[in-house]
Amino acid sequence: MQSTMQKLRQLNLSQYVVYIGFLLIFLFFAVTLGNDGFLTQRNLTNIILQTAPITIMAIGLVFVLAAGEIDLSFGSIVAVAALSSAVVLGEYPLFVGVLAGLGVGLAIGFFNGILVAYLRLPSFLVTLATMGLFAGVARSMTNLRSVPVLNESFVNMFGSGALFGVPSLVLWTIGAVALGHFVFRETKFGAHVLATGDNARAAQVTGIKVPHIRVWVLTICGGLAGLAGLLYAGRLQAARYTLGESDLMTVIAAVIIGGTALKGGKGTIIGALVGSLMMGMLNNGLILMGLSVSDQMIVRGVIILIAVAISLRDVNN
Amino acid sequence: MKNLTKMMAGGLTALLMTSGAFAQTIGPNGETATPSTEVVVADSDVDALKNGGYTAALVWHDQSDFVNAVTEGATDEFTRLGIEVVATTNASFDTAKQRSDIETVLTKEPDIVLALPLDPVASAAAFREAVDNNVQLVFLSNVPDGYKHGEQYASIVTDDLFAMGKQAADALAADLGETGKVGWIYHDATYYVTNQRDNAFKTTIENDYPNMEIVAQAGISDPARAEDIANAMLLKHPDLAGVYVTWAGPAEGVLSALRANGNKTTKVVTLDLSEPIALDMVRGGNVTAIVADEAYELGRAMAASAARGLLGQESPAFVVAPAVTVTADNVAEGWMQSLHREAPESLTK
Repeated sequence: MQSTMQKLRQLNLSQYVVYIGFLLIFLFFAVTLGNDGFLTQRNLTNIILQTAPITIMAIGLVFVLAAGEIDLSFGSIVAVAALSSAVVLGEYPLFVGVLAGLGVGLAIGFFNGILVAYLRLPSFLVTLATMGLFAGVARSMTNLRSVPVLNESFVNMFGSGALFGVPSLVLWTIGAVALGHFVFRETKFGAHVLATGDNARAAQVTGIKVPHIRVWVLTICGGLAGLAGLLYAGRLQAARYTLGESDLMTVIAAVIIGGTALKGGKGTIIGALVGSLMMGMLNNGLILMGLSVSDQMIVRGVIILIAVAISLRDVNN
Repeated sequence: MKNLTKMMAGGLTALLMTSGAFAQTIGPNGETATPSTEVVVADSDVDALKNGGYTAALVWHDQSDFVNAVTEGATDEFTRLGIEVVATTNASFDTAKQRSDIETVLTKEPDIVLALPLDPVASAAAFREAVDNNVQLVFLSNVPDGYKHGEQYASIVTDDLFAMGKQAADALAADLGETGKVGWIYHDATYYVTNQRDNAFKTTIENDYPNMEIVAQAGISDPARAEDIANAMLLKHPDLAGVYVTWAGPAEGVLSALRANGNKTTKVVTLDLSEPIALDMVRGGNVTAIVADEAYELGRAMAASAARGLLGQESPAFVVAPAVTVTADNVAEGWMQSLHREAPESLTK
């Protein structure tokens, strides 16, 4: 009995909190909102579609946090990438528009990476500055105007289309999670990211090129933010300077609840996916419950606080 | 009190119509305005609606006193008609979230959706699913591109935007004796509501008050920068007699700049009710008047238009609720008329 208790105490709750939390919230909504459409295929699919850009951004942030850095600028990158793509698509074919969006995301991420890795500036301050810088760029690019996306192939590929009956946003989510998980868990690069985040000096001593890792993770994060921008542009069939602006806290919460350590050296892509779905499910369920907007915010805040507290408490222990 | 409010609104509407103010507020697609008091559900139709078991969802852009009052007006009218409000959302000015909110509320299969579409371009796709589901859509202040009255939506309901800007100009002119230099702080964004209000102020000063001149103008897109903008304006033009500020949020920053400069003479006029701004006004500070909309009436008219749609009755394409000029003398009545609630105690004590 004592050994069972000891084992339970030793169990690192943070590894499972996101899965337990997800299950509990799902069961709660399933029971209370079963007759209000929560369990319908359409609603459950909607949750995945709505969280697709959040999940994609969360994957990038897992790499950055696991390497011991942070990126606050990805929300602004989303808007710049979406607007770049939408503007280019107005005159050029599909692949040029896609390249424009992804290229802008990668370039801004690379820019962040160079400043952090080679000028030795703290990533918090660098990305805080570039967050404001590129939010301004997004506003000035089209003089605050929204840009419609009329390219049907683009809309199908990144928004409302489907392949073999599976919505394209679901496919992007599955693809990005699978690739992200593989790179993070199964490749030397993933191990180097974790080693850098765990102890950068020790990683350097063992021959890991720490500055390269820092540039790479921030570039990946920028590129994935660019992809999220394309998904938003496809879904809304338009790009606007506000896209991604309010996602920063949602993505950080999804990643931390998912079990990635803020201090670096620990991360999980699958956890980030489940954290992101949990955030989406919370938004969805609280609206379906018919709560007032203020009550939705309070309940969501309390649940996130509990989840983050459990995650971080175990990390700190 | 509700009847009194309606009577006051009706009276003011008639007054504005005779002054030609309504003729100058036009819809996003050039529609002619119809006063909100003309959009009503007859008592004889209430039973039919009550027996229909209809539901409604409110898909808002943000949360504020204004939205709360619109919600209250709509909810009260829905209650009268036996229509249940099953979901309320707040997109926090995020177009992507608004799209998600629409998808989520449609799970509950509402018959009516009242909404403020955040952006004509980005909202077109967002509301398409609601249109496909034959939901009665009534929009507040904005309409998605390509949507047609009677096909995709029942009505657009908004403030009498021109009257708001004009009444702000009239109030400032009255306080300044129709003379003096004026600063114009406008909303620097392509947003139909603020653009019409701001331009109405400018046009009125230029056309109706020959001894007043707009000598300084500055655009604002981030309310947090209002204080900096006002400081720069006051530095260049220390002799400004009055300043127009596009809405109450940035006006708080402008007021802060005036106080920091020890300026007690430059008068401020702004739009939309705010307790800090009104407090300065009742204490005899810089603020001379606030022009507000009748938010509660907007909500009532939206609900009525949607309900009429369920009955197969067409509502006007573009409906406007009147504007109210609130000064230190009528702050309690103005608050009630606009937001359908008592003014904060700090203003009436």
